[in-house]
Amino acid sequence: MSMDELNIKDNTSLFKEERYVQQRENKKPFEAPCSEQETAEALAYSKSAEYMEKNFSRQNVVINPHKACQPLGSVMAALGFEKTLPFVHGSQGCNAYFRSHLSRHFKEPTPSVSTSMTEDAAVFGGMNNLIDGLENSVALYKPEMVAICTTCMAEVIGDDLNSFIGNARIKGVISEEYPVAYCNTPSFVGSHITGYDAMIKGILSYLYTRSGTRGKPGSGAESGEKLNVMLGFEPYTGNFAELRKILGAFDTKYTILGDHSGNYDSPATGEYEYYYGGTKLADVPQAANALATLSLQKYTLKKTQEYISGTWNQQLAALSTPLGIKGTDTLLDTISELTGLPIPAILTEERGRVVDALMDSHPYLHGKRVALVGDPDLLIGLIGFCLETGMEPVHIVCSNGDVDYNEVKFKDEAEALLAASPYGSEATVHVGKDLWHMRSLLLNDQVDLAIGSSHLKFAAKDAEVPLVRVGFPIFDRHHMHRYPIIGYQGTLNLLSLIVNTILQQLDDHNSGFNFELVR
Amino acid sequence: MDPLRQDEFDSQACGSIAPKAKPCPRPKPGEAAGGCSFDGAQITLLPIMDAAHLVHGPIACAGNSWESRGALSSGPSLSQYGFATDLTDSDIIFGGEKKLKDSIDYIAGRFAPPAIFVYSTCVTALIGEDMDAVCKEAADRIGIPVIPVNSPGFVGSKNLGNRLAGDALLQYVIGTGEPEPETDLGVNLIGEYNIAGEMWDIEKLMNSAGIAVTSRITGDARYKEITWAHRARVNMVVCSRALLGLAKEMEARYGIPYFEGSFYGAKETTYSLRQMAYLMNDREMERRVDRLTEREEARLSQELRPYRKLLRGKRAVLYTGGVKSWSVISALKELGVQVVGVGTNKSTEDDVRRIADRVGDDTEYIPEGGASRMIKTVRERKADIMIAGGRNMYVAMKEQIPFIDINQERHKAYAGYEGLLRLAKELTYSLTNPIWKLAASPAPWDKEAPPYDR
Repeated sequence: MSMDELNIKDNTSLFKEERYVQQRENKKPFEAPCSEQETAEALAYSKSAEYMEKNFSRQNVVINPHKACQPLGSVMAALGFEKTLPFVHGSQGCNAYFRSHLSRHFKEPTPSVSTSMTEDAAVFGGMNNLIDGLENSVALYKPEMVAICTTCMAEVIGDDLNSFIGNARIKGVISEEYPVAYCNTPSFVGSHITGYDAMIKGILSYLYTRSGTRGKPGSGAESGEKLNVMLGFEPYTGNFAELRKILGAFDTKYTILGDHSGNYDSPATGEYEYYYGGTKLADVPQAANALATLSLQKYTLKKTQEYISGTWNQQLAALSTPLGIKGTDTLLDTISELTGLPIPAILTEERGRVVDALMDSHPYLHGKRVALVGDPDLLIGLIGFCLETGMEPVHIVCSNGDVDYNEVKFKDEAEALLAASPYGSEATVHVGKDLWHMRSLLLNDQVDLAIGSSHLKFAAKDAEVPLVRVGFPIFDRHHMHRYPIIGYQGTLNLLSLIVNTILQQLDDHNSGFNFELVR
Repeated sequence: MDPLRQDEFDSQACGSIAPKAKPCPRPKPGEAAGGCSFDGAQITLLPIMDAAHLVHGPIACAGNSWESRGALSSGPSLSQYGFATDLTDSDIIFGGEKKLKDSIDYIAGRFAPPAIFVYSTCVTALIGEDMDAVCKEAADRIGIPVIPVNSPGFVGSKNLGNRLAGDALLQYVIGTGEPEPETDLGVNLIGEYNIAGEMWDIEKLMNSAGIAVTSRITGDARYKEITWAHRARVNMVVCSRALLGLAKEMEARYGIPYFEGSFYGAKETTYSLRQMAYLMNDREMERRVDRLTEREEARLSQELRPYRKLLRGKRAVLYTGGVKSWSVISALKELGVQVVGVGTNKSTEDDVRRIADRVGDDTEYIPEGGASRMIKTVRERKADIMIAGGRNMYVAMKEQIPFIDINQERHKAYAGYEGLLRLAKELTYSLTNPIWKLAASPAPWDKEAPPYDR
């Protein structure tokens, strides 16, 4: 197009122009009151062990957090069910943040509403807001179920969701039968994974209880239902597809409990709908009759797992995110054990191909020192993957890692996993720490590669470490979530991401002698 | 419309008080509403790049929001850091003031910022933290300003938060410093946040006309320059109705004349520059502005020619907050794009009046938010393009509607003459991309049926 000739610069090149450079110079006199030398000294100091110690003794301020709050997880959980409207009880800004946050990651719209509580609600309670909100949202968005979670504000003033919803029914705003699930999710406790768990448990228990059926584990097998699967707070829509592929290969009947991949990977048809896919509401009470439940995020889904093995009295297998060859092996073994079905040949073949790929790349991976940031279950998977490829996890930071499952703490499991391999001997695991701690670690003890969310890019840049984006949130790259990272195929994707980042580094920083064609 | 304090109220002469205007609209329960007052206050103050911004509350408010805005910095990056006191349940019960004090001390010790802004959140407001006292005590002790921003989310809309941030600047910042004696005094830019570097384009224009920027409030600002904002000769309220109160108060306190203007579109840009020179009462400057604007407009109209051909008669639906709702209309009009629908749910009465001045009678006003409402207008009015913010972008994609991001996440600067060119280019690219044709046609083996069986 001829208009390209106009050469309109964007902000990557425009501000390098002389005039803008001059503008910046003019501003310097009233900028930070220190010289370039002082800046350099401060940077050097921030790399010192002394500062790291000070940083790690920091108690009362979080700098660059790597966790979101409970209701954000609840919104994602609610979107895993068919025609369910996430409904946030609190002041409106929280909901705006959740919608932006999730949309920026998935590049998809997030339908979610709030009760928009204001000062009067803070004084008199949020019941009127909740009742009006239910009336308005049901009329506007026509959901088949509403899933309510709370925010800090509603929790601090002590709003009672159960009675408020009851009052909404009494007032006739919604009918007696209209399904409304809820959970309490104060942000001052836990993180997005806690909220995810609370909402999944809230929805499962609500739909099961109201159905009036009583679970008879295994009886679902008559209708072919063998397995329930939960992926947890899953930022990859591709992982749902991969899991379906694996279960399909086994030829087992299954129900995914909480499947938001429909909402976050819907086709562009020319017409936007509020709700795409999701677990069918009627399937939930049925799920209580399945043979067993498989959970793929055991730390995340702690309370839901307790509920399923307790109230549904069902056999439960809980793993962490199945990454890498061994992680996927465990997944297949577990499915095989729970269903009694043999491991399909097609998956064994796939395994062989991915092992082959890992062998092809191993010279570039061996001994690479990596830093990892993420949620607990993802980190267990990533550590396992790194160790089996000969990469050496060095710094591991988990902001929301102070959780346990069956009385095993995340930190203990991670450390045991690392201790079992010579490649894990240098690693330290930090729970409850933030990305400013990670920055200290990166500056103090250099690594070759950082693996984590987009938020890690600031620390990675300061330490001049390439970043492989894995986890949540990924705001600054497109379509990462569409590729699975679990299963053998996911392992191959992860491998490609990592090894090609390393090869790109080689090209970018070549000494002139090793700018080679064949790697 | 600025909030009157009781003491001011009492001191005013009888009959001098303007009739009470409509307050910021209250959000409606059960809708997918926009940001809260906390968000609004942060948006206003975060572009003070060398200051530390500490969120006093649970992790959410910082954890969900840090470094997610497109306000660019030409130097310091402290504002990019997400600082939070991360209150937990025991803090809620026993109070978080000690934690806040320690946090302030740590930030002052480690980062040596010129000032620390401390934001209250729903939780800290509800449990009755005495943030003002903690901030005052800390400021006295550590010797740098520690400014409480009392704008918890629940007090209302984002717009109200902008205002409360303006109040904090008035109360704690403006008037506390003096410029260097040789500083060339000029204009304060109020409510321009340097999204995608727009402020730099504006500043370049002003420099060309010999108009100095005294304080940026707050795009790419340094704390110190805001302390002497009261010495400016003119206040320009750029695209932000919400900070009008700040300008009015500065007029009352310091006698600085103000005007409301915008830099979206050549006409508005020229008007704004002229207005600055006029209010500074400087004939020579006015002549310089005239020469500059004539030259720039002539150059622009030349460069816009190929775009105009393509854009003439195109129809747009505009959904954005605050003042952009009317100022962008002017820019679009100059490109020949007709605005057939415009969102007004975040606009004030004045904004709506200004919208009305700029659009024809057949433009639909969209008083409520929500994706489906907007899509409905796009369809009914046969619009060619939707211009809105990030939260609506993906809905437009689903509907296969060409889209331009106009809000805080945009990466293109649309202000000034060059900005209009950039807008023209983005509109053209968005409208002519081959993907729309591809998306609209069914798969080759599916000629008769719609592309997806639903």
